[in-house]
Amino acid sequence: MQDLKVQFFVSGGTVNAVDGVSFEIDRGEIVGIVGESGSGKTMTALSLLRLIPEPGRITNGRILYGEKDVAQMTDEEIREFRGNEIAMIFQDPMTSLNPVLRIGFQVEEAMIAHQRFSNKQAKERVVPMLQRVRIPAAKDRVRDYPHQFSGGMRQRAMIAMGVSNEPSLLIADEPTTALDVTVQASIIELIRDLSRELRASVILITHNMALVASLCNRVIVMYAGRIVEQGPTRAIFKNPQHPYTWSLLRSMPRVDEKEKERLISIKGLPPDLGKMPPGCKFHPRCKFRVDRCFTEEPPLDEVDPGQRARCWVLMKNIANPEAQAQT
Amino acid sequence: MRGTLLYIGQRLVLIAVTTVLVSSIVFLLLHQIPGNAFLNETRQTPQALAAELHRYGLDLPLQSQYVNWVQGVLHGNLGESLVNRQVKITPLLVRETSVSATVGFFALLVTVGLGLLLGVVAALRQNTWIDYLASSTAVVGYSIPSFVIAIFGLLVFGHYLYLWTQGTFYYVPGWGKLEQIPVPALALGLPYASYVARLTRASMLETIRTDYVRTAWAKGLKARVVVVRHALRNALIPVVTILGPLITGIITGSVVIENIFGIPGLGKEFVTSILARDYNIVIGVFTFYAALVGLANLTVDVIYPILDPRIRY
Ligand SMILES: Nc1ncnc2c1ncn2[C@@H]1O[C@H](COP(=O)(O)OP(=O)(O)O)[C@@H](O)[C@H]1O
Ligand code: SF4
Ligand SMILES: [Mg+2]
Repeated sequence: MQDLKVQFFVSGGTVNAVDGVSFEIDRGEIVGIVGESGSGKTMTALSLLRLIPEPGRITNGRILYGEKDVAQMTDEEIREFRGNEIAMIFQDPMTSLNPVLRIGFQVEEAMIAHQRFSNKQAKERVVPMLQRVRIPAAKDRVRDYPHQFSGGMRQRAMIAMGVSNEPSLLIADEPTTALDVTVQASIIELIRDLSRELRASVILITHNMALVASLCNRVIVMYAGRIVEQGPTRAIFKNPQHPYTWSLLRSMPRVDEKEKERLISIKGLPPDLGKMPPGCKFHPRCKFRVDRCFTEEPPLDEVDPGQRARCWVLMKNIANPEAQAQT
Repeated sequence: MRGTLLYIGQRLVLIAVTTVLVSSIVFLLLHQIPGNAFLNETRQTPQALAAELHRYGLDLPLQSQYVNWVQGVLHGNLGESLVNRQVKITPLLVRETSVSATVGFFALLVTVGLGLLLGVVAALRQNTWIDYLASSTAVVGYSIPSFVIAIFGLLVFGHYLYLWTQGTFYYVPGWGKLEQIPVPALALGLPYASYVARLTRASMLETIRTDYVRTAWAKGLKARVVVVRHALRNALIPVVTILGPLITGIITGSVVIENIFGIPGLGKEFVTSILARDYNIVIGVFTFYAALVGLANLTVDVIYPILDPRIRY
C-alpha cells in the first residue's frame, strides 16, 4: 500500500480519515495495527477491499496486491477478489451476520461466490468449516440463525466465513473488542492457528498492546489518520521512538510493574480530523514537544533498520522520559 | 411448529369472537333506525305487512330476534334478503367476496410490486434524479385519493382511449373478464403503493448501511445478491408490518371503487343494500368485512416469522 488517502466529503468540509499511509505485508506475516478509536485503522483496512462507505472515497494511493492495483480493478475483478484473496473479520459479530439467514448458509454463500469450489463442494464444506473454527455440535448448529449463537460463536462463524475460501490475507478488525473477556483468548488463538494452517498473512487491528506483543511480527501505530511509528514488534516494544507509542506502552499494565502510579495514561483527546492542528498532529498532547513541532510536520523516517517514526525529537534523545512525562 | 398451530388456533377463535361482536353491534344499531324494508312496497295492506314481518321474524321482541341472529351467525347463516325473497345471504356474499377478493388481490399486487420497485430503486440511487423522480411520484400518488384516480382512469379508458383500446379496460355491463381488472386495481392500489414505496426506501437506506450488508460485500457476493438477499430481505420486515392495515385499507377502499366501476362485489352490495334498507344484508356485509380483516391480519402475522426468524410464536 502506497500513500493511501481516504477522505470523507461531509457537509462542512472534508475529513481526511487516512492520510498518506504506506505499508507492506509479506506472505505469512502477522502485522498489528494499533491506535486510538478514530485514528483510521478500520478505514485503512476497508480500503484494501475497496469498501469505504459513503460519503468516503479513496482519493489517492495505490493498493498493490501482487501485481494488481485494487484501486484500478473493475467491479467484477474486485468482487472476485473480496473474500477470495483478502477476507475480513469485523469488530461486532452481533451486527455483522445477517439476522434472517442461517449460519450455515452464510458460510456456504461465501464459497459459492467464488470459483474455488463447486456448489456441491461448498455445501459439503460448511460443517467441516464450522468444526474447524471449533463450534461445538457444528452438525446440529448449521441450521441455526445468528440470534441462537452467542457472541463468541458468532465471531467463530465470521471466521469460518472468512477462511472458507483460503484467502492469503486475513484482516481482523478488533475481533475481540465486542466479546466477553473469557472468550477473547480462544478467538485470538483460533485466528493464529488458522492463519498458520493456511499460511495466510494477518492484519490484526487492536487496542490491546499485550496481544500485539504475543502475536505480531510487526506493528503499525496510527494516529490521526497517519502512521506515526512502525517496525518489528520487538524493536518497538523495547525502544519505542515516537512519544505516542511510548505512552501507549506506558499505559499498558504489566506484570513486572510494581508501583501502580507509574502507569501513565495519555491526556487529552485525539484531534478532530476536520480541524487538524498544524505541525505534528500529536503536539497538543505531547510531553516532549519542541518549537518546531508546532509548525512543521515530521516525516516518517527510519530510526533503526526496519523501524520508522514520525517525530522531530525521538525518545532515544530524551534522557529521563519518565520524569518528564510526570510533569 | 406446534406453537405456531396453537397460535393460529387462538387467533381464529379471536377472529370468530370479534366477528360475532361486530355483527351484534351492527344488528343492534340498525334496529334503532325507524322504518323497514317493506315501506316502499306499493298497495300494502296492514295484514300483508304483518305477514311479511312475521315471515322474517321481525315481529318478535328484539331480544329473541337478536338471539336468533347470533345463533345464525355462529352457524354461518346470515338469513335471507329482505328485498329479494328467498335469496340466502351467506352464499350471495361468498360469491361477491370472491369478486372483491380478485380485484383486491390485484390491487395488493400493484401496491406491493410497484411500491417495492419504486422504493428499492430510489434507495439504490439515493439523491440522484431517479430517486427524486421515484420519491416525488410516491408523494403525488399518496396525496391523490383512490376515487380521484378511479374517475381519472374512467375518463382515460372509457373516453379518451375508448376507441383505441376498443373499450377493453372499460366497464361494460357484466363482470368477469380479466381485462376489466387492471384499471380498478390500479386505482385501488396506487395510493398504498406510494406508501409502501416511501417505507421501502427508508427501510432499504437503513439496511444497505448495516454491518451485515458490509459483510456481504466483503464476502465478494454479486451486487444483485447483496441487494436482494441481504439488504431487501431485511428491509421487508418493517414493510410487512404495515401490510395488515394496508389490506384493511384496500378492503374499505373497495367500497368506493366497486361502486364507481360497477363491480359486483361486497362493496357494491354494501351500498345497494343500505339504499334498499335490506338490513339483513347490511349486517351480513359488516360481518364478512370483520372476518376478512381478521383473516388478512392473521395471514400477515403468519408470514412475519418466516421473514424474521427471531420472531416465534
Ligand atoms: N461516515 C463517516 N463520515 C465522516 N467521517 C467518517 C465516517 N466514517 C469514518 N469517518 C472518519 O474516519 C475516521 C477514522 O475512522 P476509523 O477508521 O473507523 O477509525 P478506527 O477504526 O481507528 O477507530 C474517524 O475518526 C472519522 O473522522
Ligand atoms: S514531533 Fe514533537 S510533538 Fe510530535 S511527537 Fe515528536 S516530539 Fe511530540
Ligand atoms: Mg475501527
